[in-house]
Amino acid sequence: MALRIFLPAPTQLSQDQLEAEERLRVQKSYSTALVSSHREPPPYGHRKGWVPRSLEDFADGGAFPEIHVAQFPLEMGRRKKTSNALAVQVDAEGKIKYDAIARQGQGKDKVVFSKYTDLLPKEVLNEDTPELQKPDEEAVKELTEKTRLALEKQVSQKIAAAMPVRAADKQAPAQYIRYTPSQQGVAFNSGAKQRVIRMVEMQKDPMEPPRFKINKKIPRGPPSPPAPVMHSPSRKMTVKEQQEWKIPPCISNWKNAKGYTIPLDKRLAADGRGLQTVHINENFAKLAEALYIADRKAREAVEMRAQVEKKMAQKEKEKKEEKLRELAQMARDRRAGIKSHGDKGGEDSEARERDEIRHDRRKERQHDRNISRAAPDKRSKLQRDQERDISELIALGMPNPRSSSEAQYDQRLFNQNKGMDSGFAGGEDETYNVYDQPFRSGRDMASNIYRPSKNIDKDAYADDLDTIMRTRFAPGKEFSGADHGQRRDGPVQFEEDPFGLDKFLEEAKQHGASKRPSTSSRSKDDYHDKKRRKE
Amino acid sequence: MDVQKHSVHTLVFRSLKRTHDMFVSDHAKSVALDEERNPSEGGVHSMALALPPSQARHDTSRTGASVSDIHRHAGGAERSHAHSTSLMEGGGTRNSALTRKAPTMPKPQWHPPWKLFRVISGHLGWVRSIAVEPGNQWFVTGSADRTIKIWDLASGKLKLSLTGHISTVRGVAVSSRSPYLFSCGEDKQVKCWDLEYNKVIRHYHGHLSAVYDLDLHPTIDVLVTCSRDATARVWDIRTKANVHTLTGHTNTVATVRCQAAEPQIITGSHDSTIRLWDLIAGKTRVTLTNHKKSVRTLVLHPRQYTFASGSADNIKQWMFPDGNFIQNLSGHNAIINTLAVNSDGVLVSGADNGTIHMWDWRTGYNFQRIHAAVQPGSLDSESGIFACLFDHSESRLITAEADKTIKVYKEDDTATEESHPINWKPEILKRKRF
Repeated sequence: MALRIFLPAPTQLSQDQLEAEERLRVQKSYSTALVSSHREPPPYGHRKGWVPRSLEDFADGGAFPEIHVAQFPLEMGRRKKTSNALAVQVDAEGKIKYDAIARQGQGKDKVVFSKYTDLLPKEVLNEDTPELQKPDEEAVKELTEKTRLALEKQVSQKIAAAMPVRAADKQAPAQYIRYTPSQQGVAFNSGAKQRVIRMVEMQKDPMEPPRFKINKKIPRGPPSPPAPVMHSPSRKMTVKEQQEWKIPPCISNWKNAKGYTIPLDKRLAADGRGLQTVHINENFAKLAEALYIADRKAREAVEMRAQVEKKMAQKEKEKKEEKLRELAQMARDRRAGIKSHGDKGGEDSEARERDEIRHDRRKERQHDRNISRAAPDKRSKLQRDQERDISELIALGMPNPRSSSEAQYDQRLFNQNKGMDSGFAGGEDETYNVYDQPFRSGRDMASNIYRPSKNIDKDAYADDLDTIMRTRFAPGKEFSGADHGQRRDGPVQFEEDPFGLDKFLEEAKQHGASKRPSTSSRSKDDYHDKKRRKE
Repeated sequence: MDVQKHSVHTLVFRSLKRTHDMFVSDHAKSVALDEERNPSEGGVHSMALALPPSQARHDTSRTGASVSDIHRHAGGAERSHAHSTSLMEGGGTRNSALTRKAPTMPKPQWHPPWKLFRVISGHLGWVRSIAVEPGNQWFVTGSADRTIKIWDLASGKLKLSLTGHISTVRGVAVSSRSPYLFSCGEDKQVKCWDLEYNKVIRHYHGHLSAVYDLDLHPTIDVLVTCSRDATARVWDIRTKANVHTLTGHTNTVATVRCQAAEPQIITGSHDSTIRLWDLIAGKTRVTLTNHKKSVRTLVLHPRQYTFASGSADNIKQWMFPDGNFIQNLSGHNAIINTLAVNSDGVLVSGADNGTIHMWDWRTGYNFQRIHAAVQPGSLDSESGIFACLFDHSESRLITAEADKTIKVYKEDDTATEESHPINWKPEILKRKRF
């Protein structure tokens, strides 16, 4: 204490002195405060009868050894429920061991790399440094031997389980052990200082089945703690890099399980079209050329043929015209009374002409009959027009029922029921009121709409459909009320000539030779002409 | 080679620093002698003077104006070289006080470049694995066409084809202690072939999925295989018993290596970890998590107590027995499928895109890059290297490729240090501060 007076005051106070000063200050503040908030333990020596009850009673310090009561300063030492917290450990230099958690379940000798220095590259060492040398032969041999024995033991255990049962193996001979017990005295071991123990290996029953069940499955124990990761975390992926790794979906050329509709360019995307160069054979071009030439030649041939035919047709036409001209001339001559040939020849020619006319007309009549027999559906032109559809008629431009020259009024103007302000419909666009009447209002509608009746057959065949079906047509059989005319010249029977036309015609033929120009011929001519003109 | 974009200032500074670091602690050179003769010039300049001529030439090409100026001023390079040997000791004692204790920059050892000299075709599928016979007469390849073919090493002719696997043969190994060939495939089978009868004599049954690699222990009759079921299994060769099942990996175990010293088994897996195992207990000794991507290959140095692992991000070198990290060999930016190492210190890395990089083991200097052309008839994308191996004489490199060929490389004898100079530009590392 005396030394402190002589020395100058310290400029830097140590930790203890600072704390002491703090305490002094606090104590001074005690006296000024009305109520003291801290509760400090009584100083050493004055603690008799005092028991720390709460955490604050310990006030920074630890347990009081002189107070014989269980104390838990800072709640240390209490029997807590299982917590897996690892206590903080400190290494030899006083630094906290942060890798204690990485070495938790393992022995302290286990090599675990957890420091930053472990991942820094070392200096390049010379080849001769001792660290890089392999361990010498002897150490290696020893290790090999040790390993081999251990592995053999393992293997033999595994195999022995599978080997068949053999006789019991001989046990090793008995071992004798001299044992000196620690508790000695007259009472123990009947006074003797040492004991000899005979140790014998217990016999294993070769026929004994396994003693324990090993088929039970138990969950695996916790693994060893994972090794600390000694590299920087992977770099973040940029959007561009992510785009680079995008794999397009697979569109099969064969399967489409969900039946997606996929556009054609996607279907052919993976086809490899862009990778191949297309090689086209030259012969395709040659073929195209040849076809082109052939086409041209064919066209030329067709044209020539057409021209030739045209010429031929023209010649024919000219010939026919000539003929017609001649005929016309002859007719004119005859009309004028000029005899083109001799009399006989003239009468013959007239008869011939009449025969020709008759022949032609018979031919026409037969032709019409044939048509009507063969194609009964082929109606006359008028009938056909009547049965046409409206669109066809419009397309053909035929009907126009109101093609009259006088002005036509919209019939809606003459509306009787509604007043003047009817007809405009308030400006609505949706109504279709361009026309007032239908086109052909119902005139042909009814007839155009085909409605088959229930008794189609009745309409067609009258009521005796059944009889008709059963009875066959017998051409020889006559109708019930018909004449029994036996004579059959053709399908149609002609009766006796009622008007005497045949006689008349025969007479005409006979008198054709002797010319009676005035009456018969003229009348015949008139008749012929009229007929002709009609047709 | 990618050119890194730096400012001129940075480039000049770095090259100067490199040179300085390389030659600052050259004790053999007579630095003190020059100081006595030319006291006017600064210490730094005199240090730069005492260079042997060839290295000086390299320097001028690299560093630019400053060093060449100094060299011209002095003009005494010849003199210093002649005297260097006689004054070595003297220089050494005087220099020890003067020279700073700067860490020496390593100089890579020169290796002759390798060139392709034979292409062997015959397989009908990717060639996935190679093994060379201990007597160096023939080598075996396993392929995706499910066959194992034996080829003569000297001539490259096919000697034998073995069939029996039902799927790709992923690993082959020839035993040096008995006349056996071991093969494993993607059909979960591990077969032992007797080479005297060319027949399968044993199957090792137990893997639950494709077996990707196998290796034989050099001294014990034990086989280790690794598989896609995230385990490696240790088999006793004679009894076919599964001695240990090494579990712990969480993804396919892609590669396994065995050695006589501790740790006896090393595995690399697709969960980007490497595990060093204790064979006696069948448990992991150390787990190395430095890689970011799957570790597809491991290689043990034949003479040193080190190994290297290859993955798509980096090739890393490690020390035994605890797996202390030594250094990264970066530059081969591709998925590395295979590594092989020479006694001369040549490390070869073969990648999935067909490129081969050759490295100097000690410094990590990449001295050569090869990309061999594919076999005519193959697409350009069918180039990839699945396995590579040095033969026992270490003069031939055999690679198994994806264009169904086996390529054999040898060193180029005509190349010299001058024709293929070392272009060593290491990154300026922050030295040991810890």
